[in-house]
Amino acid sequence: MLEERNQSNEIINLIEELSGQKIFNCFQCGACTAGCPVAFAMDPVPSQAIRMLQLGMVQEVLDSSGIWLCAACNVCGTRCPRGVDYAKISDALRALVLRSKKNRVEPDKISKALIYDAPQQAFIAGFRKFVG
Amino acid sequence: MKYPYYPGCTLYTKAKNLDQCARRSAEILGFELQELETWNCCGAIYSTVTDDLAAQVGPIRNLVQAKKMGDSLVTLCAACYNVLLRSHNFLFAPGNEKTRKRLLDFLEEPYDENMRVRHYLEVLKHDIGWDNIKNKIKKNLNGLKVASYYGCLLLRPAGELKFDDPENPRMMDDLMANLGAEPIDFPFKGECCGGYVLINDQDVALKCSKTILDSINASGAECVITSCPLCQYNIDNQQKLIGERNPGFKKIPIFYFTQLLGLALGLEGEILALDNHCVDPKPLLSQKGLING
Repeated sequence: MLEERNQSNEIINLIEELSGQKIFNCFQCGACTAGCPVAFAMDPVPSQAIRMLQLGMVQEVLDSSGIWLCAACNVCGTRCPRGVDYAKISDALRALVLRSKKNRVEPDKISKALIYDAPQQAFIAGFRKFVG
Repeated sequence: MKYPYYPGCTLYTKAKNLDQCARRSAEILGFELQELETWNCCGAIYSTVTDDLAAQVGPIRNLVQAKKMGDSLVTLCAACYNVLLRSHNFLFAPGNEKTRKRLLDFLEEPYDENMRVRHYLEVLKHDIGWDNIKNKIKKNLNGLKVASYYGCLLLRPAGELKFDDPENPRMMDDLMANLGAEPIDFPFKGECCGGYVLINDQDVALKCSKTILDSINASGAECVITSCPLCQYNIDNQQKLIGERNPGFKKIPIFYFTQLLGLALGLEGEILALDNHCVDPKPLLSQKGLING
């Protein structure tokens, strides 16, 4: 139990370092989730994800689908009264998963119609965030 | 007046209509966009991961190129603007001295803090001035109801970009008002269109775009302007799917702000690239007497 706890402390430190954010500054007001344009489909929503990290549920957050829906639009960080930027936290979480060589999107599975139609900006940005 | 200019990847292909009108309009307004001699993709989205230096090399390489031509760099694409400006800030953030040295040593080119990444709209407002633009108008956009959609990348993070008020932006609305159009307010001006989530979950991106479009349609606007090729795609091209899935959905033309600027300054024909849209804007423009046919 104690060992598990130490491991999760270590990874919380790493997430704080990679995101530059202080996870324990969040006091759960929910302003991030209220403003988040993709919260309707996110699980966990931003404030929940931060609370889970505070409680040491790191693996659950890393395994969740919610972190992959963040569009990095930055409404959460702009409105946070405690200076916590969830977009940066989710960026760090995704990096941790991608660095373990697990892709979220497989480039060869993207539909031909989309590849023909959408601007390259969509793919370059998407590959940055979804492909390790 | 000459400005070093970074077009970015999308403006050479899918978003020609954003680039072409801007260059020609600049000439009419008395300044020149001087394209960087060499440039590469900025990465399209800023990486906030503090040790992700590989993602910083691309944008900083462009900044270093720009430095050879002057102390400012102008962009049109909201994503390029966001990425280049934040990469510059990253280099000179307190505590990043070692990282800065590492990146600049890698690039083997001189660079310093004295560099301003600016959006074309900022040049229009601060250097040219609305009054000077007004004096050059050939075709008043009188009677055209325009909703200005800013999206995320021009506005946030507001403390870094300092572009406009992130909750109540006015920059494009003011430009439209000065071109004679009627700016229409709506509550989702700065809401995200879903952006690159499009390639992970198209349905989610579609819903984000629909929220914005519903809000615009309810506001009484006749068309929309944007400055980001990905916003343009999400709220223009996706209207086809939104329409198929939501009977009764009203389609609305989406322009780049530079197209309406060019139109007002008297540009005509191919340069406006009005065929490059999913929702055809020509019927609206001819109904308003702004184009022939």
